[in-house]
Amino acid sequence: MASSKLAEDLRGIVGKANVLDAGVGLHLYGYDAYLEERRPDAVVFVHSTDEVAGVVRACHERGVPFVARGGGTNLSGGTIPVKGGVVIETIRMNKILEIDRANLRARVQPGMFNLEFGNALAPLGYQYLPDPASQKAATLGGNVGENSGGPHCLKYGVTTNHVFGLTVVLPDGEVAHLGGKAPDAPGYDLTGTFVGGEGTLGICTEIVARIVRLPEGVKTLLAIYDRIEDGGETVSAIVAAGMVPATLEMMDQLVIQAVEQSMKCGLPLDCATVLIIEVDGLADDLEQQAQTIADLCRKHGAREVRVAENDAERAALWAGRRGAFGAVARITPSYLVCDGTVPRTALPTVLRKVAEVSRKYDLMIPNVFHAGDGNLHPLILFDWRNAEQKVRVMKAGMEILELCVQMGGTISGEHGVGIEKMDAMRLVFSEADIRAQLKVKRAFDRRDLSNPGKMFPAPREATDAA
Amino acid sequence: MPHELDDLPQRLSGIMGGEQVREGTAASGFSVDGAEPSLVVHPGSQEEVEAAVVACGKAGAVVVPWGGGTAIGLGNPPSRLDVVVCLDRLARIVEFDEANLNVSAEAGVRLADLQAVLAGKHEFLPLDPPQADRVTVGGLVATNSSGPSRLHYGTARDWVLGLRVVLPYGERIRCGGKVVKNVSGYDMNKLFIGSLGTLGIVTEATFKLLPVPAMRVTIVGLFRELAQAAAVVACTLESQLLPEALEALDSQALGAVASAIGLTDPSGYGLAIAVAGSRETVERQVRDFTRLLAESQATATTTLGGAQGAAAWQAIGDVQARMGVTSEERVVVKIAVPIGKTLELLSSAERLARHNGWRGAVTAHAGSGIVRAGYLVGGATLESLRDGLRALRGQAESAEGSLVVETAPAALKCSLDAWGKPPEAAEVMRRLKVEFDPRGLVSPGRFLAGI
Ligand SMILES: Cc1cc2nc3c(=O)[nH]c(=O)nc-3n(C[C@H](O)[C@H](O)[C@H](O)COP(=O)(O)OP(=O)(O)OC[C@H]3O[C@@H](n4cnc5c(N)ncnc54)[C@H](O)[C@@H]3O)c2cc1C
Repeated sequence: MASSKLAEDLRGIVGKANVLDAGVGLHLYGYDAYLEERRPDAVVFVHSTDEVAGVVRACHERGVPFVARGGGTNLSGGTIPVKGGVVIETIRMNKILEIDRANLRARVQPGMFNLEFGNALAPLGYQYLPDPASQKAATLGGNVGENSGGPHCLKYGVTTNHVFGLTVVLPDGEVAHLGGKAPDAPGYDLTGTFVGGEGTLGICTEIVARIVRLPEGVKTLLAIYDRIEDGGETVSAIVAAGMVPATLEMMDQLVIQAVEQSMKCGLPLDCATVLIIEVDGLADDLEQQAQTIADLCRKHGAREVRVAENDAERAALWAGRRGAFGAVARITPSYLVCDGTVPRTALPTVLRKVAEVSRKYDLMIPNVFHAGDGNLHPLILFDWRNAEQKVRVMKAGMEILELCVQMGGTISGEHGVGIEKMDAMRLVFSEADIRAQLKVKRAFDRRDLSNPGKMFPAPREATDAA
Repeated sequence: MPHELDDLPQRLSGIMGGEQVREGTAASGFSVDGAEPSLVVHPGSQEEVEAAVVACGKAGAVVVPWGGGTAIGLGNPPSRLDVVVCLDRLARIVEFDEANLNVSAEAGVRLADLQAVLAGKHEFLPLDPPQADRVTVGGLVATNSSGPSRLHYGTARDWVLGLRVVLPYGERIRCGGKVVKNVSGYDMNKLFIGSLGTLGIVTEATFKLLPVPAMRVTIVGLFRELAQAAAVVACTLESQLLPEALEALDSQALGAVASAIGLTDPSGYGLAIAVAGSRETVERQVRDFTRLLAESQATATTTLGGAQGAAAWQAIGDVQARMGVTSEERVVVKIAVPIGKTLELLSSAERLARHNGWRGAVTAHAGSGIVRAGYLVGGATLESLRDGLRALRGQAESAEGSLVVETAPAALKCSLDAWGKPPEAAEVMRRLKVEFDPRGLVSPGRFLAGI
């Protein structure tokens, strides 16, 4: 650590019990759901905006890097303190400050788990729409950091579409309120710019989120296929028919088998793929919509379509989907999740090519993903103890991202760039594009202290950084 | 024209042809809040925009982009103006990927023309700003303009997937892409949406689209008291109903759109509700809303379908734009407040007109927190205007909201900042401007906090 004086100051700000600067505990904050690790110099547990501002000011004064951490479930290395410094753990800032039904907004602290927030709203008849599959362990602040998506984002959009204001501690320790309950705040849309900033533009300490009524009705279908391409084609067919389901999720055979082993959701073990399709909204036409979709599925090769008859059946289907990443961990100790996104009509082709990559590198690559958004998640399975295998995994991952870009897509749909995809940024952006993004970084964080060493590839030439 | 700009016209002619570069009186009609440009240029491609901006940057000429001109009055008067870059010739629809529900269009494409093309494939862009027949894609993005249906669909920030932008000294960049989920790097689209050309010139935008709903019906109710309309709004927002739009009109606005709605001699307040979707859900919502209107003592209720409904919404959206002819006789403001305060502000905006005896029209996106007020102020004194609008702004700001002057005589804008009090993060905004435009050559002075 730059100085034990800093640790002393930090204790002064957050209290002795809330600073960790020695011991094995530090290791726990050196990694997240990505594959790398770097021990921080200190971890502080913060409880208020003032404390965060104090900690950030102390770091800023000394030129010490800091990084905000929520649940640490991000998959791109977003919270790994690659340049050392202080991890600012927000998990104890976990309160709902206000549920303002008249204005359809809630004010929440960033350390609250996404699911907990949903559970608090549901009894009132309301919901917060972004629902990452990790919602049990992912925080709202982390969702803001990554601009997370989730199964219901096909119809309802991602985090940024539901966040209208933020209280942020800027990288120099100043506190600012961006946006708020009123829409269209004059000036640049700093709220929108901050969301998805991966902690590199400061730390948010309060979120003004849009809440909406729970839908009047929901219908959930499971379509079962013997050919994975048929599933992919059904996705396009549903959209082409003028329908926008709430979700259109896909799981392939390897994933289904892993899920069934770990939680028994009643999925058929012998099929190639399933689609989980949900329609919601006014109750009047849901039956009709479900019927139309079921017909389309059958027309495109589904061997069977099941409709969840009750909440328990629906919950079972979703438990399988949400538990899929975890279940896959039964097959091998590690996996790399690729998060490439393609125009949805490219899905059948890209799935075929992912299978080719799997054969080429001799790696198992199950797929479970947000098909309606064209957001793939091929999971490249491996054993981290096998160094040679890890090299192949990285190559295969890059090849899949390149594929996505070639098909008109991009390198990350929802998991972020972090340290994982810094180099892949050049697959989609020119040097000028990247320079423009760095202007934003500098306007917020001139001294490059907020989560440094993330998102951007090393400049090509010295002059490029100018 | 400043001396150093002497050979700029030749340079620009070299880029796009002499007939696309207008000087002197030929450049009139493009004044921005009274500031006359020395040159107006009409580049024919994004490459020509880039080259023109490079040339202007080298000459130190100040550039202001011009789309359809519908919102050119938005913002403070520019602190300097040399060249207007008119984007009318950037009118190509670059790619319409109907199967993936997205479209890329150049900045000069008119929204109405774009919608017509999309409608050919039963798709649409769910943004309905005022003057949709004139507003351009670039202007829509730069001003973050929106309309009544933002209740259901949101605003430009929810539909823009990608942008191409020419930065202040000519570098061309791309933000976002064409896929619906994209977190590769910062969300740069957000930065440019609503930035009013102060960070660069948007030359192309890619939008996400929706299938056209099977059916759309409009229900209009009239009320003696605003409180009665407010009760319908409150009930609706608490319900699980999903109207597309929920627009409240004061009596003057109601009068102005009466013929389009097919009302004779309306009085009181109006509430126009659009519902869209499948036949089943539309019929159900029409039933529910009709009952709700009756329960809330509506004095009359009308139901409009198809073309008639579309005409009614166009009239409602354009009601302020159609009052008066020049910005010297017209003031239009946009007030934004938390949703629950919307009708309170509509009432205050209406009172301001009544109190001063101005003709006007006040409408509100009642479920979205937006009030638009237009006043015909031909005879009004500057003081009465300034004081009246200041009071209204004070009320909006104390409700954590804002009042933005969209159209006004330049003199009024000088005594009443177009944007109101600078936001808390104004310093970050200034730093952004300096990062992108250190020499202040693109739309200087138009934005808030001196940007
Ligand atoms: C099994 C599994 C399933 C997943 N499914 C999905 C999914 O469906 N959709 C999806 O989008 N993602 C998914 N993810 C990824 C991950 O859960 C999300 O990125 C999530 O939003 C991260 O939240 P977190 O609290 O764990 O954030 P962290 O991992 O702690 O942090 C994520 C980033 O946000 C920054 N950050 C954290 N808090 C703040 C703050 N207060 N202010 C500013 N920046 C902050 C961090 O610095 C970091 O860069 C999944 C992950 C796993 C392991």
